[in-house]
Amino acid sequence: MKNQLKSRFGILVVFSALLLLFGIQNLCAQDAEKNSIRLRANYVKIMGGEMYFDLKATARVDGENVIVPNIEFLVYNEFNDESVEIGKTTTNAKGVSKFVLKNLNSIKPDSTNTYNILFSFDGNDAFKRISKSVTFKNAEIKTTISTIDSINYITATLLDVSKDSLMGDQSLTVQVQRIFRPLFIGEEFNVTDEDGTVIVPLDEGIPGVGGNLTVEVVLNESEVYGTVKAIVIAPVGTPFVDESTFDQRKMWSPRNKTPLFLLIFPNIIIFTMWGLIIYLFYNLFKIFNLKSKIKKHENI
Amino acid sequence: MKNHDKILNDLVPLKFGKNGVIWIIFLIILIIIGTIAYIDQIIKGQVVTNMRDYALWGIYISNFVFFVATSFVGTVTVAYLRLTDNNWRTPLVRIAEIISFAAIIMAGLTIMIDMGRPDRMLNLFLHGRLQSPITWDVIIVPTYIILSFLLLYYPLLPDFAILEKYFEKKNSFLSKWYGKLAINWEDNKAQNIVQKKSIKIIVVMLIPIGILLQTIDAWLFSTTYRIGWDSTNMGAYFISGAFVAGVGALVTVVYVLRKVRKLEDYITDYHFDKLGKFLGLAILIYLYFNIQEYLLPVFTAPTQEKIHLDALLTGEYALLFWFTLIFGLIIPLFIVLFKKGRKPLPMLVVGLMVVVGSWWKRYVIVTPTLLHPFLPIEGVPESWHHYFPSMHEWLITGATLAMALLIITILVRYLPVIGIQKTINEQDLINTDKNIEL
Repeated sequence: MKNQLKSRFGILVVFSALLLLFGIQNLCAQDAEKNSIRLRANYVKIMGGEMYFDLKATARVDGENVIVPNIEFLVYNEFNDESVEIGKTTTNAKGVSKFVLKNLNSIKPDSTNTYNILFSFDGNDAFKRISKSVTFKNAEIKTTISTIDSINYITATLLDVSKDSLMGDQSLTVQVQRIFRPLFIGEEFNVTDEDGTVIVPLDEGIPGVGGNLTVEVVLNESEVYGTVKAIVIAPVGTPFVDESTFDQRKMWSPRNKTPLFLLIFPNIIIFTMWGLIIYLFYNLFKIFNLKSKIKKHENI
Repeated sequence: MKNHDKILNDLVPLKFGKNGVIWIIFLIILIIIGTIAYIDQIIKGQVVTNMRDYALWGIYISNFVFFVATSFVGTVTVAYLRLTDNNWRTPLVRIAEIISFAAIIMAGLTIMIDMGRPDRMLNLFLHGRLQSPITWDVIIVPTYIILSFLLLYYPLLPDFAILEKYFEKKNSFLSKWYGKLAINWEDNKAQNIVQKKSIKIIVVMLIPIGILLQTIDAWLFSTTYRIGWDSTNMGAYFISGAFVAGVGALVTVVYVLRKVRKLEDYITDYHFDKLGKFLGLAILIYLYFNIQEYLLPVFTAPTQEKIHLDALLTGEYALLFWFTLIFGLIIPLFIVLFKKGRKPLPMLVVGLMVVVGSWWKRYVIVTPTLLHPFLPIEGVPESWHHYFPSMHEWLITGATLAMALLIITILVRYLPVIGIQKTINEQDLINTDKNIEL
């Protein structure tokens, strides 16, 4: 009896040990399979427009860099040892997300007038937890367009709002919006003087719709201020005639803008063909009835 | 001299023998296998094919073009020969009509297979633009299907009435159905007038619509700015190619039916001789357009087109290219140039060579062009630089070909392959002429 109990106990121990080993292996396997997300977060402020954070989540999986879609980040505003949740944002199919701040008053800075935003992901079956902090101070760019001796200039002044001071020795990019990529103008580095100002001549002959150029002055990915962009529409370009055929009836237009000749002639052919086909079916019906008439006639 | 009863007994549809049943089972097995592969393709998507970013049209499209080309046989043999009053067409036209009908139905189905998901067909109606040749194709293919059906059906009316009476005692079920299909046909004058007038309308319509069908098929390619397709020659090139494919298919099926149904008294060496000459003419025209299509660019080709031509003439596709040209056109032409070559058995060989050559010819037209884009292929796996159909594609394509043959087989089972009434009328006419001579 004792022996039987011993052997049963032994089996139970071995079985439990196997179960435990299997469970640990599974747990380890799960851990081993989890990948780390690399999160890139940039603060962008458009003067007179929106403020937002651009997020991009990637990961290294099986030796390849892949984008990570459908990751939900909780967004916190951290200040003076407090952390307040201000929203959520989820990466799209391209692993990209844009979290828009309604305005700066909706978040609070710390004692150094620095805003701290934390993006946090709790992890899931595939990826480990991750958090990324973005800090920035509030800055502004003020722009004016002026003409001196028939030459157009754009003047941009960079201002640290928290200190209410002008910022010298900062590199600003001046560019004109184009379809594929911006057209850079001025020097390679337009560094602000002690008044926080750069003056850049606007070249003649740059084409724009109605002669308007959309000029951008950008403080690009500053460690302290993030990206700050001022956009000004300047009527200093060379007007060009819009040669777009978008509204015309062309071969490449959508169906509601089919060229008239293609509406008229193929439809004439189609209706003629199908008219004759219907007539041919009608003739079958006629053949069917011709017998009936004769039969009726014979009966009479 | 054949009397009416003999003609009737010779030409009425017959039950299949043992070989016929085996043939049908074989076709059904092919269709079932292909259908399973197609269902798998719908579930998994077209990733099961070897079509990728560059070879985005593969065997399905070349098979579609082959079916469209083969369906042209209705236009060339029935319409042209009727309008030019070539009486030797009589025992051949019904077979041509059947092939034409089966081929165009399968062309419509094949294009749906290429779409991946069949529900995408709806998009052509919801979002189709009249500027696109694909929309024209969507319009012309159903039109040709309906017209091919009418072309087959109208001349059958007198035969259906004959078959109704013939099977009255032998098989009442068949007799009933033939009676329904005969739609009260009793060969009276009024019915004959309407029927003849309708057939005339059909054959007159068939020529422009048949040419439109082939041309639109060609424009599907030539309106895309691609090496090898960007040609003003393409419409005529496709029409002449369809002429060859259609007559090649006709010769093959005619031979088989003549043998199986023992129709040697009706389809004679004379008919094969005529078909041989007809096919020879078709091949000559097609060869001319091949020279236009390939020889002239050799002199004038810019770099990218030269790469494409090199791939065809001496490179990756040279074997197939020369096979389709020599095996599918030049050798058949040499055979039919000789009287002995236009005898039934050599004509069967010629027909088979032409059909096989025509099928691969469409493959050569479609695939190499897609693999030679203007911008070099970069940043894709090495396998995407080449294309050869996957097993799914072969099985599905095999099933479509089997389905076309099954449609032909079923129609041949229940329809007289040679017009009974027409044959009787012609025989009566010959007898009357002989009596007058005497």
